[in-house]
Amino acid sequence: MRGRALLAAAVFALAAGAALAQATAWDAVWRSEAATAGTSVVGRAHTMVVEDGRERSATALVHAAGGKVRFDYEGPRRRWSVIDDGRNLIRLNPPARTALVLPRPSLVLDRALAERNYVARDAGEAPVAGRPTRLVEIAPRRKGPVARRLWLDRETSFALKREHYNAQGRLTSATEYEEVDFGAPVPADTFSVPEGWTKVEPGGQGPRLTVHELSARIGFPVRPPRYVPGEYVLLGGYVQEWGRWDIRMAELRYTDGLRVLSVYERPKGEGPPRPGMAHGRGGRHGDRAGRGREGRRDRGGGRGARSGRHPRGRGGGSGFGPPGAEVMTLVDRGTEKALRYFGAGLVVVVVGDVTADELVRVAKSVE
Amino acid sequence: MICHKVRRKLAEYAVGGLRGRTRARIEEHVRDCAACRAELAALERTGGLLDSVSVEEAPAETWAAVQREMRGTERVPVARRVRWAWGTAAGAVALAALVVGAFVLGPMGPAEPQLVVATEVDEEMQATIEGHLSAVWAAPLSDEAAVGLRLAVLEDDG
Repeated sequence: MRGRALLAAAVFALAAGAALAQATAWDAVWRSEAATAGTSVVGRAHTMVVEDGRERSATALVHAAGGKVRFDYEGPRRRWSVIDDGRNLIRLNPPARTALVLPRPSLVLDRALAERNYVARDAGEAPVAGRPTRLVEIAPRRKGPVARRLWLDRETSFALKREHYNAQGRLTSATEYEEVDFGAPVPADTFSVPEGWTKVEPGGQGPRLTVHELSARIGFPVRPPRYVPGEYVLLGGYVQEWGRWDIRMAELRYTDGLRVLSVYERPKGEGPPRPGMAHGRGGRHGDRAGRGREGRRDRGGGRGARSGRHPRGRGGGSGFGPPGAEVMTLVDRGTEKALRYFGAGLVVVVVGDVTADELVRVAKSVE
Repeated sequence: MICHKVRRKLAEYAVGGLRGRTRARIEEHVRDCAACRAELAALERTGGLLDSVSVEEAPAETWAAVQREMRGTERVPVARRVRWAWGTAAGAVALAALVVGAFVLGPMGPAEPQLVVATEVDEEMQATIEGHLSAVWAAPLSDEAAVGLRLAVLEDDG
């Protein structure tokens, strides 16, 4: 009897300890978010992304203060800057002295949703930029590989190093500070478009809307997908305009707390047909059942596919021609994949960090 | 020959049932007439579909009944003749539906869309990925430095 009581107490203590460790790790993560918004920082970071199987990297001079941040990049071929002033995302092109100003999307930080879908755990410690850090790993609660690894400064909770992994567990980006100075003064004009530069404001995202409001605003009935992966919830609907290309679409944005899934829609046949620009690698063809013959298999989900020049541009798929001519186009950038599907009356583009099979399932459920 | 006369014979021609001068006249007309050529192609597709249907031997009783009918040894009651007429009409409608189906859907019916893996992005894909990346920038625990690099890479690749 006494033995049983001791065992129960031990199990309870273990469970409570695990829960406490969870809470502590998450607390540290959320403190890092607050630190990023509240700390004045000047530093130099090395950042790397894997896009389409290739590693690209750049060094960025970072200025952050009062919830605003600026990155001045120096890449192998050019220099550019990105400013987040809290309201807009501003991309500076120094050679042309132009500033592309787009409204900054606002995403509600839903801690409960993130903690419902992911677990955070301590995974050790290591110095970064000469400072002691605490390593926290974040992984899906249900199944799947680690999604994020964060090295949090012991003193300020600022994330001095980050590694992001996609849904298949491949490293897709990493940023590591090489030098950092907390509390360094940041000039007030750091987050403004430089004097004399040309501002380009091509539209971007409108206010957050319900599906009903979005349909009324954009002028066609927006259809939410009947399927999205279980962890995702709808954040809202937005009218998206890209004035540079004269493209206007409805967007339904979903999140699982960390990742974003975007579903774009436009009526079929809207806009002038343009020649396709997607060039293939000379790959082989898959058959109708989705079995690849000789070609590369889709990394996302093993679906047989063919690589090739896309036969049409954005005006394609307007309903003319034989039904068999319809295609789904998949672009795999590494982290995000984008899939365009010509559905019944709508062209649907789904972008997210999920497998290609999931993208197809989401796109096809928009009917 | 003019079109409507040719079309009356086209089905027979499609299954190789014509010989001699009539056949030669139809061939000559079809060479010059796109509409009749299309009609012939559709009939040949339909024939191809019918060829693909497996043929089963009719029961001996059916053949015996057909032979009796042909010899006129049996008087068919009026009711049965009406049923026979309805059956023939239904068969004709089914065949017409098959022909129309072959025209509209092609030989294989609606195909499952193929998945094309594109290595470069067109404007619409670039725009939507860019829009998505802007949302990713604002997402919790975002690696903003990396997203800024990815936006530049996307711009370079576009």
